[in-house]
Amino acid sequence: MTAWTAKSPHPRRRSVLGAGVVLPLASLTACGTPASPPETTLYTWISNENDRAQWEAFIAAAQEADPDFELTLEGPSFEDYWTKVKTRMSSRGTPALLTTQAARAQELSALLLPLDELAAEAGVYLGAFNAPMIAGMTVEGTVRGIPYDAEPMALFYNRAHFRDAGREVPGPTYTLDRFLDDAQALTTAERYGVALTSGLVGLGMAIGVAEGGAAVRDEELTLTDPALVDAIQFTFDLSAEHQVAAPPPAVDADPAAQQALMNGQVAMHLDGPWMYQAYADALGEDLGVAIVPSTGGEARGMLQGSGFGIASNAEDPSAAFATLSAIITPEVIGEVARTRGTFPSLAGQEERWTEGKNPDNARAITALAHDGDPLITTPSWNEVLAQFGQYAPEGFRGHRTAQDILAQVQKVGA
Amino acid sequence: MATVAPTGSGSTIASPTTARTAPGAARRRRPRWPLALYLGPGMLGFSVFIVLPLLFSLVMSLYDWPLFGQAEFVGLENYRRMLTGDPAFWASLFTTVLFAIVYTAANLAVCLGLSYWLMSLGRRWASSFRVLFFIPVVTPMIGNALIFRLMLNDDGVVNQMLARLGISGPSWLSTPGWAMVSLVLMSLWQGIGYNIIVLGAGIAGISPSVLEASRIDGAGPILRFTRVIFPMLSPTVFFCTVMTVIGAFKVFAQPYALTEGGPANSTTTLVLLLYRNGFSYDRLGYASALAWALFVVVMLITAFQFSQQKRWVSYDS
Repeated sequence: MTAWTAKSPHPRRRSVLGAGVVLPLASLTACGTPASPPETTLYTWISNENDRAQWEAFIAAAQEADPDFELTLEGPSFEDYWTKVKTRMSSRGTPALLTTQAARAQELSALLLPLDELAAEAGVYLGAFNAPMIAGMTVEGTVRGIPYDAEPMALFYNRAHFRDAGREVPGPTYTLDRFLDDAQALTTAERYGVALTSGLVGLGMAIGVAEGGAAVRDEELTLTDPALVDAIQFTFDLSAEHQVAAPPPAVDADPAAQQALMNGQVAMHLDGPWMYQAYADALGEDLGVAIVPSTGGEARGMLQGSGFGIASNAEDPSAAFATLSAIITPEVIGEVARTRGTFPSLAGQEERWTEGKNPDNARAITALAHDGDPLITTPSWNEVLAQFGQYAPEGFRGHRTAQDILAQVQKVGA
Repeated sequence: MATVAPTGSGSTIASPTTARTAPGAARRRRPRWPLALYLGPGMLGFSVFIVLPLLFSLVMSLYDWPLFGQAEFVGLENYRRMLTGDPAFWASLFTTVLFAIVYTAANLAVCLGLSYWLMSLGRRWASSFRVLFFIPVVTPMIGNALIFRLMLNDDGVVNQMLARLGISGPSWLSTPGWAMVSLVLMSLWQGIGYNIIVLGAGIAGISPSVLEASRIDGAGPILRFTRVIFPMLSPTVFFCTVMTVIGAFKVFAQPYALTEGGPANSTTTLVLLLYRNGFSYDRLGYASALAWALFVVVMLITAFQFSQQKRWVSYDS
């Protein structure tokens, strides 16, 4: 055997050695590849079938006008969305369209392309959309998302409980004094008058906004706004002092409160119109909706809403906007409002939302939507929410005051 | 046995004598590619998943690094902020140390007691109980947390049972002290199975004749445990202590799922703080600095444990 012969196994060795190195690498890199063009892919939250049905309702409505319209959905649950959207948009082949809440537009501003010029070029008039929601979607003077809904937080209640307690249901005005009287009258051995949640964006903040307060002014956190402090202290007192509400658990208080209203274990609960159909299914004719109570009793809503935006790293923003503009037409927004119950961001489509709903209920939500302030946040909002969520249980149990807690959270989030 | 000469101008059949007289040369000339082949995947994985991320996180800790957007070099600012400007770091470090001490002490006490008790049972009963104790170890932590949350709610099963006894139960998850107790209890329930298996194996390894001799000498159960079993078990206890302390410092899933770090910051551990800074507050650089702080703390404590083992660990069999 020659020297070459002695070395002859080397090519095979190299192959085997190469396989040893390359195969693990290949397995590492065998991750997913983009399945659809970025310009027709929407990154959004898809927590459940209900969410998916809502997004598909947009697609179906757009296909009424253009049967060839295509939009691919991609995304995690709502809770994970706000973290994962940043990492997803950092990778290659990212979707060119994404969803944001108005309240989160500040936080996601780096991801969202200014839309003013694109809208002007495409002939989309942004002034037609709900003005507070457009204000909520505006960051540094430019609109970053086009709202498809404008949802005012409202007080959902069980008419049967009011009837049983001999109380009149809330009317077009609703004062804090009367709300407290109602809550006390509706509290029995079997149920509480009100359901509370431990998050910052709840009954306390809605009352604070109705009283003229705001958590953010001029892009600065203002949690110690006296109107906000008083309102949140008022909700702390509902459980700690008046005992018309159970102190909310530190974790997952929202689903528990929603279930309590649907099961008849509480008489009133603050929530958004997106829950209207679920509550109507559970309570039927007994579902009532009132405005958020305030000292003067006038309707003033805290608006939350969501919209579609274009990724700041989109390769073809015009093509992406063409897709976006197809799902924000009046016909599409109106149809989704009719079929999925989102309160439309276009005033001309509100009638489609009110179809089949109790007129008093529809009137209350419409009044809040017409005279409301958007929930605007700061880039540190996640930290603010986490901190408040951790300290609030002590407030609801009377161990700390709203002033104390909000001042502490303000210091962290400022 | 005939062997093929590794080199030469052609194939030759070497005599057994030749093979015996040159073993060193054979070893020297043994091809190295199988070693590379066998080590390759492991070393590649180690490099890709351990070494590179470690180095990368060290680099990241010197930057203001958002989840999306441009990173900015800030030098040691993240470390300065962590040590002097962020009370949450010290609070979470205190919480983590408190959890580690209470959990490790309780874990080892419970596991030692149960292992010793299992030793006194028959083999069939001991095996059944070991399986029972080990089941929580292999159940998902998130599921456990949901169950514990339902049990420990203000009007949960635990407080309802206490109410039947005429006791007004505390707000387990909404009062700082009780939240920590709840966290330790759930972690114990989840974690003792592993140490029971390890300590049980250690106890089973003790020579029965030694135990018999101690009995003949008149040692009761307590004396036998403290003077005979524990010293002989000390290497196993040391191993369990080191591993349990390391695990306790890395605790994340329990506070994340059970209490979300609250109430106040009473159950915000270092890893939970790290996670939040990285993935909720958009501060990957600061989160990396926290990770390095945790790494150093755990390394120092482990080194301290090793330095002190000669005081109480006996390797004499």
